[in-house]
Amino acid sequence: MAAVPEPDEPGKRKGSCTSLRLSYWKPFKLLGILDVENIPCARDSILYGSLGSVVAGFGHFLLTSRIRRSCDVGVGGFILVTLGCWFHCRYNYAKQKIQQRITRQGMKNKLLYEGTHLDPERKQNSRNSSN
Amino acid sequence: MATPAQLGLQNATSPIMEELIAFHDHALMIIFLISSLVLYIISLMLTTKLTHTSTMNAQEIEMIWTILPAIILIMIALPSLRILYMTDEFNKPYLTLKAIGHQWYWSYEYSDYEDLAFDSYITPTYFLEPGEFRLLEVDNRTTLPMEADIRMLITSQDVLHSWAVPSLGVKTDAIPGRLNQAMLASMRPGLFYGQCSEICGSNHSFMPIVLEFIYFQDFEVWASYLYIV
Repeated sequence: MAAVPEPDEPGKRKGSCTSLRLSYWKPFKLLGILDVENIPCARDSILYGSLGSVVAGFGHFLLTSRIRRSCDVGVGGFILVTLGCWFHCRYNYAKQKIQQRITRQGMKNKLLYEGTHLDPERKQNSRNSSN
Repeated sequence: MATPAQLGLQNATSPIMEELIAFHDHALMIIFLISSLVLYIISLMLTTKLTHTSTMNAQEIEMIWTILPAIILIMIALPSLRILYMTDEFNKPYLTLKAIGHQWYWSYEYSDYEDLAFDSYITPTYFLEPGEFRLLEVDNRTTLPMEADIRMLITSQDVLHSWAVPSLGVKTDAIPGRLNQAMLASMRPGLFYGQCSEICGSNHSFMPIVLEFIYFQDFEVWASYLYIV
């Protein structure tokens, strides 16, 4: 909702809630396409890639003193390190999601079946007591 | 549903949509890296003083820029095909629901329950309650049980329509004279909105879809209530 301008400030309008909300919600995207804030593992991959790029490029320059070739090595290092971190992180993320799903299902089943004849812990306890 | 000025995909409600979002992230990262490489090469081309006007052959570079894109395409195609076949998997469905497209509303038939069918028209703007969404609300929501496999049979009575719910990762064409099958499964309760996605006349933008996923026992109560009504 826009505020009504004060009488002594005819041209000045205060920011509206809608415009502030839109600017708050607008995500930052690298090259306008990669939403590093919301995509899991994107931020870490890009940061590690940048570090790898700097290390590779600078290291190559220190060894060879060739500027253009060092820049090429830096870009190549960025791509390789980013890809490597990305696949590694996404693989672990997928494993974690599966584990979360199993745990969530297990918790729900425990709540549902606790104390009933379908409770696996009850069956195990009765087997242990009979042994 | 989408938030204002949203550009990305909606949050996933079904496992298929989760897979689609993961695949989208994977493809986007590859696109980002290729774009960065191309931008860098362009900057190199623009800043070099070297020229070479008599290139006859360049076997090595040609090998690289043939094999590398082939590898990238395989890296994109394999997860894509995996999700494609996963979408076509049909586990034993708990419920079958028919969605029939008309000009310009959807009708739903719960064939597993005798005589359970209704039409779903858009709620006009002047009838909206505070907090309801313009052009997305309907008079009769499609109520379904959560955490159950639901088979959708989608067809049309007149012209082409398309039954789409983005957060479930479903978009299936409604073709007159043809039954298309889709599987739904929601992992959480709530309201999920969609809109007709095939041009079908003047009111194509005004035939939304609202799915209401509720708990199993509440769904049974709802179905029995509709019988009484």
